[in-house]
Amino acid sequence: MFEFAIFFFFAAVAVIFALVVVLHHNPVVGALALVASFFALAVMYVLLEAPFLAALQVIVYAGAIMVLFLFVIMLLNLQHRREEPTRPVQQFLGYTGSAAFLITLVYYIVKYAAFQALPAGTFNSDVRMIGTELFQAYIFPFEMVSILLLAAIVGALLLSGRSVRTSAQ
Amino acid sequence: MIPTHWFLILSAVLFAIGVCGVLTRKNGITIFMSIELMVNAVNLTFLAYARQFHQLHGLIFVFFVMAIAAAEAAVGLAIFISLFHHRETIDVDEANLMHW
Repeated sequence: MFEFAIFFFFAAVAVIFALVVVLHHNPVVGALALVASFFALAVMYVLLEAPFLAALQVIVYAGAIMVLFLFVIMLLNLQHRREEPTRPVQQFLGYTGSAAFLITLVYYIVKYAAFQALPAGTFNSDVRMIGTELFQAYIFPFEMVSILLLAAIVGALLLSGRSVRTSAQ
Repeated sequence: MIPTHWFLILSAVLFAIGVCGVLTRKNGITIFMSIELMVNAVNLTFLAYARQFHQLHGLIFVFFVMAIAAAEAAVGLAIFISLFHHRETIDVDEANLMHW
C-alpha cells in the first residue's frame, strides 16, 4: 500500500512538471520543471528495482544534461524573449492529435499489456550484473557509444566555437 | 508490487505530453526539452518490461539511450547556439534553410 502511495505521488509530480515544461513560456522555468520531472522518474526507476539506473538518471540527466540546457538558455539570454505563439490551427491539431495518440496508447496498453502478475523471485539487477553484461555481450555497442560521444564533442566544438572557425579561415 | 501496466500508462502520458510540446511550441529549446521528455518516457517503458520479464537487456538499453541522449543534447544545443549567432533567434520557423 505504501508503494502505491509513493507511485501515485511521484507519477503526479512527473506529469504536472512535464505539463509545466510544455505550457510555460519561460524556458528557464521549463528546464527546472524538467529537472523535477526527471527526479520523479528516478523514483519510478527505484520502484522498478533498478537503483543503478535511478542514480544514473539523477547524475546524467538531472545533473549533466539539464545543466547544459540551463547554461545555453542563460547564455543566449532567452528568458526575456517573447515566443511567438503558433498558429491556431497548429495549436488545435497539436493538442487534439496528442490527446488522440494518448487515448489510443492507453487503450491498447489496457487491452493487450495488462499483465496480471509479475514473475516469481526477485529481479537481480545490481551493478555487478549490469557491468558483466555490458562488458561481455554488449562490448561492441559500448565502444561505439564512446566513439559517438567523441564525435559529439568534436561536432559541438565545431558548431558552437566561433573563434575556432574564424581563426581557421 | 505495482503492476507493470501502470508504469506503461504513466510512460504513455509523459510521451503524449512530449508530443504535444513538439507539435505546439516554436521555441527550439523547449521543443528539445520535449524530446528529452519523450526519451525518458521510453526509458521508463524499457525498465518496466525489464522487470516484467526479468531481463537485463532493458536496463542496458536504457544505459545506451542515456549516453546517446547526452551526445544528442550536446550537438543539438551547439546547433542552436550557431543558429542564434547567425539569426539572433531560436524560433524554429526562422530556421527553414539548411544554408544561410
